[in-house]
Amino acid sequence: MRFLILVFDNLRRNIGRTVFTALATMVMVLVVTCVFSILTFLSNVTSEKAANLKAIVTERWQIPSQMPFSYATGLAEGGGYEADHVRIKPENSMTWSFYGGATDPDPKKRSNNTILFAFALQPRSLLEMMDGLDDLKGPERTQLEADVKKLQETRNGLIVGKDRMKNLGKKVGDRMTIYSFNYKGIDLEFEILGEFPVGRYDNAAAMNIDYLISAMDAYPQNNAGKTHPMANKSLNLVWLRMPDQPTFQQVSEQIMTNPAFKSPAAVKIETASSGIGTFLEAYRDMIWGMRWLLSPAILFTLSLVISNSISISVRERRLEFAVLKVLGFRPWQILMLVLCEALVIGTLAGVISAGGTFLLVNYVFGGLKFPIAFFPVFLISPQAWWWGAAIGAGTAFVGSIWPAWSARTVKVAEVFAKLA
Amino acid sequence: MSNGSANTPSVRVQGVHKSFRRGAEVIDVLNGLSLEVQRGEFIALKGPSGSGKTTLLNLIAGLDTPTEGEVWVEQDCISHMTEGQLASWRTRNIGFVFQFYNLLSVLTAYRNVELPLLLLPLSAAQRKLQVTTALDIVGLADRMDHRPGQLSGGQQQRVGVARAIVTDPALLVADEPTGALDAKSADEILDLLVELKTSMNKTIIMVTHDERAAGRADRIVELQKGQLVST
Repeated sequence: MRFLILVFDNLRRNIGRTVFTALATMVMVLVVTCVFSILTFLSNVTSEKAANLKAIVTERWQIPSQMPFSYATGLAEGGGYEADHVRIKPENSMTWSFYGGATDPDPKKRSNNTILFAFALQPRSLLEMMDGLDDLKGPERTQLEADVKKLQETRNGLIVGKDRMKNLGKKVGDRMTIYSFNYKGIDLEFEILGEFPVGRYDNAAAMNIDYLISAMDAYPQNNAGKTHPMANKSLNLVWLRMPDQPTFQQVSEQIMTNPAFKSPAAVKIETASSGIGTFLEAYRDMIWGMRWLLSPAILFTLSLVISNSISISVRERRLEFAVLKVLGFRPWQILMLVLCEALVIGTLAGVISAGGTFLLVNYVFGGLKFPIAFFPVFLISPQAWWWGAAIGAGTAFVGSIWPAWSARTVKVAEVFAKLA
Repeated sequence: MSNGSANTPSVRVQGVHKSFRRGAEVIDVLNGLSLEVQRGEFIALKGPSGSGKTTLLNLIAGLDTPTEGEVWVEQDCISHMTEGQLASWRTRNIGFVFQFYNLLSVLTAYRNVELPLLLLPLSAAQRKLQVTTALDIVGLADRMDHRPGQLSGGQQQRVGVARAIVTDPALLVADEPTGALDAKSADEILDLLVELKTSMNKTIIMVTHDERAAGRADRIVELQKGQLVST
């Protein structure tokens, strides 16, 4: 205990240097924490699960995926034949159609404050299949259930994320007309029924698919009998939940071999992680750079900063170390004294920085707005608390081992001979 | 207190040589020097710069090892100990008083004096007793919570003496203990050293250029070119 107190006393020797070293550590740990959080999240979403996995069905040969809505029912049932196949059904399903537009019909006036993109889906899917919402608990779950019930009952309803709502200048209860740009001619009036829980859907919106489908069905009546150009293209994605890999393999075969899903649009099915992985291919170099260039560079720089600070301290204190040796301190005790000083700064600064980043980013800023693919925000992982300690302690150890060894090898007679 | 046979010297230096290498050059600092110091004796080491007196002091204090020869302190032959063994030995057997005090500026007088005791298996209560006793002996019990920056030169040196005696070593070595002090403070320190010799039977070896300081010793040992010239 006294040894630790001696360590803390030595850190008070030059408060300025200690504080600046700690601040530099905190800044770099903050950056690494953010980078690790993004990489961890991407790694999680792209790693194959053995159970309770989700699969995505999309159009095979085209991006964006645009399938006829008539595929929805068959795909939701696993696409199997009645005749000679044992038909395995997925546990649950969700269809996505994307409806986008703006609150102002004039294209020149489109901006972030007027645009809305909505997931058109069965409202119950929000509670049963939507990532990040299907596992909600507590008051947030209760509120979402109430909003979903309203959306089921009110076909022209919308549930909107808080940031999107703020940008549009709207609140729950307001009405607005969206002038669509991907469903031209199908401009819809909406009533905002509720708000998504704070998090990854802050900029999203969800509408009832029945509203879009009935608008599409009514289109010919007002347009000289012509069907809407998107009539056979309104289904963008189908999500299927399956209990395990064998079920996924079976359902995959059922869908891929069913001629019903070959025309007018051929489909493909892949696990969600695989699908996301494919989508992230475009960001592969950036992700590689973050993992193997940026992070190591920051860690190396941090080690150098600490090494420099501790080296200066050791050089200033050669006489003091000689005196400690005269008093009987052994070389390894001198080494431990210096190492502990570095470890205390590094670990404390690391924990404070990573923990502070976790609290600030997740609970004050609502996540890291780092636009990779379709992920609007990234949350800092709870593992950040021990990342901070590990990064701070690890870089402190690496950075201070050489100056600590130098302190250990101070020759008493030489130090006092130089003084004489 | 260290008691033993009345005729056994406290310190025996036998045929000691010490050389240093400076690049390709070998410098002989001590040349076959032999010296005995009796228990409870106060000796002053004198000599011109480069005569080897500090080197001799370092050998006796276990801060260095001779190139040849042996150094005995009480029953311990310290000339063949490893660095780690010497460190451990110094804690219990040597008290060192420096010319420039060399107190740790971030620690109070109490904690500076306590430093050597941290290396011994003592309870906090035992450490407190020994520290307060040492500070009492040097007359600074009322300054134990002051940092070195808040003490005068003489007071800092007295804290240095307290640190040197806190483990009750048999041997005190002092390298120019009055070199950085004014006359009055120097006299106080010398009085203290004499008192330690008289009342606690400490053996004291002091390097000094100061004639007045040397005059307070029982014996003056003069070195020149690494050899004793008079004693």
